[in-house]
Amino acid sequence: MSETSSEGSDGDRWVFYKDRPDWKDVTPVKQEEGPFPVVSIAYNAKFKDVYDYMRAVLKSNEISERAFHLTKDALELNPANYTVWQYRRLLLKDLNKDLREEFQYVSQLIDEYPKNYQIWHHRMVMVEWMDDPSMELDFLKEALYNDPKNYHAWKHRQWVIKKFNLFENELEYTESLIGDDLRNNSAWNQRYFVVLHTGKLSEPDQIRKEISFALKAILKTTLNESAWNYMRGLLIHTEKGVLEAEVVEFCEKLYASGNKSPHLLGMLIDMAVEGDDPKLDERALQICRELANRYDHVRAKYWNYMETIVKEKIAATKVADQKATNANEAASDVKNN
Amino acid sequence: MAWKSCSHSGRVAVDPIVLDSTRLSIAFFSISGLEVLGALKDINDDNKKSMCNWIYGLQIHPTEDGDGSQCGFQGTDTFVTLENGVATNCNKMFANGHLAMTYTGLASLLILGDDLSRVNKTAVIKGVAALQQEDGSFAATLLGSENDMRFVYCACCICYILQDWSGMDMEKTLSYIRNSFSYDSGFGQGPDLESHGGVTYCAVASLVLMEKLTETLSKKEIEGLRRWAIMRQVSGFQGRANKQEDTCYSFWVGATLKMLDFYEIVNFEENRKYIMSTQCSIMGGFSKVRDVNPDPLHSYLGLCGLSFMGEEGLEQVHPALNISMRAADFLHKLHQSW
Ligand SMILES: [Zn+2]
Repeated sequence: MSETSSEGSDGDRWVFYKDRPDWKDVTPVKQEEGPFPVVSIAYNAKFKDVYDYMRAVLKSNEISERAFHLTKDALELNPANYTVWQYRRLLLKDLNKDLREEFQYVSQLIDEYPKNYQIWHHRMVMVEWMDDPSMELDFLKEALYNDPKNYHAWKHRQWVIKKFNLFENELEYTESLIGDDLRNNSAWNQRYFVVLHTGKLSEPDQIRKEISFALKAILKTTLNESAWNYMRGLLIHTEKGVLEAEVVEFCEKLYASGNKSPHLLGMLIDMAVEGDDPKLDERALQICRELANRYDHVRAKYWNYMETIVKEKIAATKVADQKATNANEAASDVKNN
Repeated sequence: MAWKSCSHSGRVAVDPIVLDSTRLSIAFFSISGLEVLGALKDINDDNKKSMCNWIYGLQIHPTEDGDGSQCGFQGTDTFVTLENGVATNCNKMFANGHLAMTYTGLASLLILGDDLSRVNKTAVIKGVAALQQEDGSFAATLLGSENDMRFVYCACCICYILQDWSGMDMEKTLSYIRNSFSYDSGFGQGPDLESHGGVTYCAVASLVLMEKLTETLSKKEIEGLRRWAIMRQVSGFQGRANKQEDTCYSFWVGATLKMLDFYEIVNFEENRKYIMSTQCSIMGGFSKVRDVNPDPLHSYLGLCGLSFMGEEGLEQVHPALNISMRAADFLHKLHQSW
């Protein structure tokens, strides 16, 4: 862990709070763990010292520069301590601190602990207090460059984009990330987020544009679940769903070329179930068996289950057809009589 | 397994200080882990009682004017000090319950056989109510924290365990869950967020505990959700599409499939093979992936993942409450007596 506190640390040598002249007036406050702590944490001397003073400060409600610095040391030892964060926010307000500096501090911490909930939350509060998102998108680009699937970073990004309406260049951004890694599901999710919130999903032309974007990506790696899921997500907003002509045609062509991606085959099964072509139903049964035995063996039981779904559909169709025939016959009987 | 060697004292030594603020949840992983291993009975009653006392010591009581908004359990006694011989929080304003700690505290008490008679139920429910947000989600604690599906789940568990849903606007909770249902039929941590195994568990378990699963999702959507979940199996389970598998998802996604009545579809052999490959041969316990150090969360969830497949010697686990079936049965008996 890097030593970032300038106060009290003498080069690399840590000076205990109890030995610091400027803390002489404060009596450290010991932690009371009770007679039987279930989880005993092996606190080291530094931790004990810092938190002895943290407790003292909390107890006396001290609002001071030195208390502010103390929170930094306490957070360095445990950045997940939400109480220290809450106290730090109180100090930031009451001491009227420069929030730009706090931003630098929190950016540094995120670099160090990119998956810590409390730090990301603190950053969100800072953006709210300053009512200024201008640093966010670049900062997040950096964070996502380090880890393109960091859930915290994506959550923060969506939040700031929604709150300050920063959708403008986001579609291009997702395109570049997807270009870097077609399998980045977070980037696909972000793309869906953008097209949904910019009204594109209520315009058939725009949906078609997105569908071709997805189909292009699928052609590059047909085993990529993210692209298939994105395309299916778009289809929710079309009139015909999985039976959308362009998609049906694409899948048939891909299948005819000998492709056996489980995502393609799953799509063909769903198309059969939704459609009304008995020939395709029969083919779907065949595909279920192939998936179970060969192309997606780990999910054999799932594809066996899908086979029963297809069979149920076939049976239901037959019953419906029979009913229709009976009705027709009855109608012609009436006529003949 | 190393778990067993800890069971005599009932204490679990945990090194990383970063776990300090959430010690109660670490205690839960350990206690529930011993329970799933069938080793809790090796701890004598006095020690169990002491553990319950420690947990009760973390309960935040209402202020004199009866305000319960801060109530629940806090995760640690880091800020507790001795005042005139009495353990006291050194600053009342900053001593607030935390939903994840309240849930894991109640769950631990149940596993230890405590009848929850010392829980200030009305106050805990007031604490839950104070944390619901405008969008229906829950924050973890007063004075500011993130709010998302994890705490929706904790709130649901608390209300279910205490059999009191008055602290929650259920319509709002349901709409938050509904809005987090993603285009790929999984759930995100909130609206628009990427589908994720852990939060999908939280969403589905919440719906199950509220008895609102089939009311909230159509038959077709449930089929989609089933497929999303079963697609997460690689050998073990991954948490998101195109991500690496990780032991904990054998629980999160496995439990989701259980609740969707679809667990039999899982490839047991592959799943078991993966979980066992993450077991630490020296210390026991499980890690998220092969060849890294085991930790309390993955050790516990690895066990639960195995238990779902009927692994010999392991207690059955209640998928929605994430406690043993035995503890869940005990809770249901308590409910009858309330
Ligand atoms: Zn994990």
